[in-house]
Parts: sequence; structure tokens; C-alpha cells
Amino acid sequence: MKPNIHVKDKVAIVGAGLTLFRRRMLETSRELAWEAAREALESANLELKDIDCIVIGSAPDAFDGVHLKGEYLADGSGAISKPMVRVYVGGGTGVMVPIAAWWHVASGLCRTVLAVAEEKMSPAHPHPQGVFAYIWDPVVERPLGPNLLWIFALEMRRYMHVCGASKEDIAIVSVKNKANALNHPCAQAAAKITVEDVLNSEVLVWPVHRLDVSPVSDGAAALILAREDIARKVTDTPIWVEGIGWTLDTTHWYNRELAYPRYVEYAARMAYKMAGIERPWKEIDIAEPYDPFDYKELHHIEGLMLAPRCQAWRLAREGYFDRTGELPTSPSGGLLGVGNPIAAAGVMKVAEIFWQLRYEAGERQVKKPVHYGVAQAWGDLMQVGTVVVLSN
Amino acid sequence: MARRIYDKEHVKAPGTPLSSKEMYQLPGTIEYTPVAKYRFTTGQALSKFLEELKRGRIAGRKCNNCGRVYVPPRMYCEFCYKPTSEWIYLEGTGTVVTAVVSYIGTARERLEKPEIIGIVKLDIDNKEPQGYDFPGLFHRFCNVSEDDVKTGKIIGARVRPRWKLEEERKGDITDIECFEPIEG
Amino acid sequence: MSMWRKKCTTPEYPGKMETEKYVYTPGLHGLEFFKTLKEKDAIVATKCGETLYIPPTTLCPDFSKGEVVEVPLTNPWYIASYTIVYEDMDGNKLDKPQILALLVPEEDIVGGIIHYVKAEPEEIDVGLMVKAKLKPREKREGKITDIEYFELVA
Ligand SMILES: [Zn+2]
Repeated sequence: MKPNIHVKDKVAIVGAGLTLFRRRMLETSRELAWEAAREALESANLELKDIDCIVIGSAPDAFDGVHLKGEYLADGSGAISKPMVRVYVGGGTGVMVPIAAWWHVASGLCRTVLAVAEEKMSPAHPHPQGVFAYIWDPVVERPLGPNLLWIFALEMRRYMHVCGASKEDIAIVSVKNKANALNHPCAQAAAKITVEDVLNSEVLVWPVHRLDVSPVSDGAAALILAREDIARKVTDTPIWVEGIGWTLDTTHWYNRELAYPRYVEYAARMAYKMAGIERPWKEIDIAEPYDPFDYKELHHIEGLMLAPRCQAWRLAREGYFDRTGELPTSPSGGLLGVGNPIAAAGVMKVAEIFWQLRYEAGERQVKKPVHYGVAQAWGDLMQVGTVVVLSN
Repeated sequence: MARRIYDKEHVKAPGTPLSSKEMYQLPGTIEYTPVAKYRFTTGQALSKFLEELKRGRIAGRKCNNCGRVYVPPRMYCEFCYKPTSEWIYLEGTGTVVTAVVSYIGTARERLEKPEIIGIVKLDIDNKEPQGYDFPGLFHRFCNVSEDDVKTGKIIGARVRPRWKLEEERKGDITDIECFEPIEG
Repeated sequence: MSMWRKKCTTPEYPGKMETEKYVYTPGLHGLEFFKTLKEKDAIVATKCGETLYIPPTTLCPDFSKGEVVEVPLTNPWYIASYTIVYEDMDGNKLDKPQILALLVPEEDIVGGIIHYVKAEPEEIDVGLMVKAKLKPREKREGKITDIEYFELVA
């Protein structure tokens, strides 16, 4: 490790827990948070009294239909009478949660952090997509009656055009991730499908078909981060946070080249530099790039510099990113397969790298030996990149 | 310390899934309709932009420090973090960067007639600007077929705004009805 | 700085929340609470150690799952605190002042139920005994309004 910053304490992830990801759940938001947090504590053999600080992540309040969502989630996240903060960067929130937890520990402020992410999207009716209307500019965008999928479709079309990828090439990612999810205990949309199934599914906003998109979900996820000495006490296999990075671009998403996410690259460069990684395409063994849409995974693989620009779809076709491939991506099944409770989905991705690096992913364990993994999330109006690099 | 395998065989994740029918019929389920109305101010840059739309032209702001032109206009340069320098006026001709066909509306309802939407990179001095960021608008397209989108024919095409009649314009982004291809 | 202050018309743009409605599930213990209220003349509380929590919380302060216990509504409850409401949400004067109270079944509990108390403002006081007036069983919907109000016990 060649840290380019002063880090007081080395930080490890020592536990992770998830709830089921499903379209609708009986549990309230705070109960979902509690179930995931309890799983994480149990997995680390810790109790709430062992936790110093709490970090909560949750995307727009308008999904759960509860304002002050951080405060609302506080008891379920174990935050009563403890220092607590909620972080929020749209879809990028999930990976922002361990980033914020990291600086709580790395700074020397807290010895242990319980990091919880939760999203309950089922309350909003008739469909949570309506709630997204409030991310658009009210003056120049909303009068056009946009649907959230428009921006993704526009970005996907641009990627296809610039990189020469076809619908078929992109659908491969959906097929791969949904199949990877078959062994995930929380998966909502695991399936054995073919490229034809994706192409024949309902067209929403061409080029986006229904099976190009992750589902709407309720769910929660949690991680335990600890200072080095505590981490070594509670587990034989702490997973080290080697690097973190995050950057934002402007919300003026249509004033930018959409074929390449420069903000993801900047975030990745920040994280790699901290981790001492100079050639990520060689040094990273496993990745969980954010995949709310199939093309997004390819887009982010390139932004994370795990493939040359416009080459990710070619490599995907060769099986390079399969669980048995040279650089397995989304071995969890990703958002496309496991589900997409926004913030919780990002934490699920970090949890997958944690399990993979501990060789605890069971049926989902990748075939190659793994030392370094990267998890990434993305969000808002094509503008947020959040990246975490882990090692065992 | 025992290893804990996290896969389907070894883990039963917590949570109680519901069907849609179950959710509505549960004792204690509450429905609530928010009544939230807002008035947004358009601000300095966009109010001028909207006024100019009424006149049939597209107003942008130029930063003389870095040379960037902003459409929609902003009063500050995002990169230099200084006030932008001057107003410039564009014809509205430009190049299609990307375009899609939408079969659904804002709340995912199926549309009777699909819409074609896209991004136009606007010309400055009749030239296509180069670089990662550029002045541009996100709008509807007319006289473009679904096939033009799917084959990619529309990408890179030259377009111009189709304006509403002057008396129908009200200082709104929809004063531009759509962008349409320039023939020839 | 002058350009920032330049006088400029700033027309306003209307917007409204497009959401048709929100549907909130009651949660694990919330479901028990409303089921019990609907089917019996009782509610449930969570017992964490010796302490009773009303409404029932799914999680105890130490993060363990609490024990669900029934608390009858047929016994007298007590007024822990109250407020007298003279105006509605829009500031219009009510025909008759409304009494809203925090009600508890016994002293050593955490929380309580917020509900109406049918009484005259001059009759009301902290510590008074009250009893729940419940809707007939067949009319109950599993909502807090299945209790119509509490009334003073003579
Ligand atoms: Zn500038």
C-alpha cells in the first residue's frame, strides 16, 4: 500500500448482512434496516454495544414516503444515543456508505462502525418511477414529461453508437448477472434466460427492454467496519479497505459526452492511487460494477479502467467477465439479478466482494484466486461515481 | 472462528415478502396521498433563456475565461467557478448526439403513440463544438421514424428547432415544438 | 458582484408531486398490533426485559427481538399527558375543543397511545382514569380509529 494521504488507523470490513430483496415487504423501513444490521453483527460475532458509530445510507425520501429518513432509520440501524450520519448521493449512496464508514474509523474517531443501507420502494404508487420526476430540472426538463428510463436509454444508445455495440452484445450482461444470482440467498430476479429473452421482452424506451433493467425492490444491507486491532481480534480474515474514491459531475447531463463516465474514472483513480494500484486491468481480480441496466455494467467496467474504452462488450462476449472468466464482474448477480433497493444494492455489491475475498461465497465463489476486488456505484443524473477497493 | 458460507444453501435471509394483494389487505396498512404543490423560480439565467425562446432564439452564456458556451445558460462557469461573461444567441441548429423511442410515460404508463426523444449538440457560429462537454438541449424529435433511431441513421444528423407560432409561445421549453432534420 | 443583483424577471414554474399515493405496510409487530385490535379488545406491546413498549417496537434497545405481549383495552388506562386543540390544521376555530392525550395502561412503560379523550376541557387532568370506546367488532378495519376515543371513568 502506498497511501497518498495520512491514515491514522487501517480499516477492515469484518461483517456483512442482507435482507431478502423483494418487490414488496411486510417490514417497515426501520425493521428492514434492523434485520440487515443484526445479520451483520451476528456474522462478526459482535453486539450492538461493541459499535461506536453508525453510518446510514438511503436514497430519496420520496421512495419510502418518509421525510427525515436517516432519523427514521436511526433506531433500526442501532444509532440511538450514538454518533450517526446519513449519507446520500443518489444511486451512488450504497458505496458511499462504506466510504463514510471508512473515514470514521481511519480518522481515529471511531473504533467500530455499523454501516446500514435501506430502501423501501414499494410505498410509492402507482409506480416508483413517478417519484423520479423530481430529479429533473423543473423548468427545462420536466415540461417534456420525462420518464427516468429516458436518460438511461439515451446514454445506452450513445454508448452503442460510439462503441459499435449491438443490443445483443449488451444483453449478454443481463443473461450473465441473472444467472449469477441463482445462488444468491436474497435474489429477486435470478433466472436462466437467453439473449433472445432479453430482446423479446417488453420494449420500454428503445433500446431499453424490460430485461435490460433491474427490478424495483425493498431491502436492506449492512456492513461492520473496524480498526485494525479490533478487526484482527474478531476475525482471522479481515477484509481491508485499501482505497476509496468518489466524484460528482454536473446535473446538466445532456451537456456531456454520455458514452464514457469520466466521473467514475476520477473516483476510481482516487481509490486506486490510495490502494497503490497502477494497472487496475491487471491487478484487480474481481469487480462489482454498478449494473442497474445491463449496458451500465459495461460502461462502468470501462470507467473503472478494467477494460479499454469501448472494449468491455467485446470482452463480455468472450466470457471474460463470467464467474469462470479472467475478471469476474457482478458474481453476486448484481442489481439485475439480486435486485435494486437503491442504497442497499450498492452495499450488497461491497458485501459480495467481502465474501469473495474471504472465499465464503459458496456456490458463487469465482474460480480464480482473488486478492484485490473493487465495488462501484453510480447515481443521480449521470454524475456520481463511488468506488471502494478491498483486499484480503 | 467458524467460516460462514454465504450462499443459498447455507443462508436463509430475513424478510417477509408480500404479494400486491396481501399488502393492500393487511390490517394496519395505511394509504396516504401527499398534496404537495410547488412554485419554482426560474432564476437569472433561465428566465432570460425562456424570454428569448418567446422571441424564437436560443440564449446561451459564454465564459471568456475558458471559452465554454452554456446552453441551457448558467450565470457561473462550472469549471472556472467564476461568473460567466456574456450572452450569446444561437440559431438552434445542431447535431443529434443520441435518440431513443419511448413507449412509456412518466409513471411508466404505456403511451398510445411512441415518442422520440434525444439530445442535440448546438452549433456555435454554425460549427459543431468539440469536446466532452458542449451546449445542448434535450428535446422531442419530429419527422424522425422509429427506424431512424434503431438503425442509428438519426445519430449525427443535422437538425433545427421547429418553433411554435409566435402568438402561441409562452416562454417555455415547449415553445420549441421539437427538433427536426434539416433536409438535403 | 453587480451582475448577480441585476434586476431580472424570474417567472415561477408550477410543479406538483406526481405520486398518486403512498401505501405503508404496518411492519412485523405493527401487524400484530392491528390484528389484535381488530380481533380482540386489546393491543400488543413489546416486552424488553421488564419494560413494556407501546406501540410495540420490533427491536429492543440491545437489538434483540422483543417478546410480544397482549395488553387489554377493557381495563382502565391513564392519562399521561394531554393537549386541548382549539383550531384545525388550517387555523379555523373548531366548534368544540378536542382533547388529544397520551394514554398508558400502567405507570412503568415506554410510550403509550395517542388518542382522543371525550371530556370537557375543565374535567381533564394528568393521572385520570380512562377507558377505550371501541367500534363494534364487525366494523373494525385494523386501524387506530378502531378505537373511537377514550372516555373518563367516573
Ligand atoms: Zn470557464
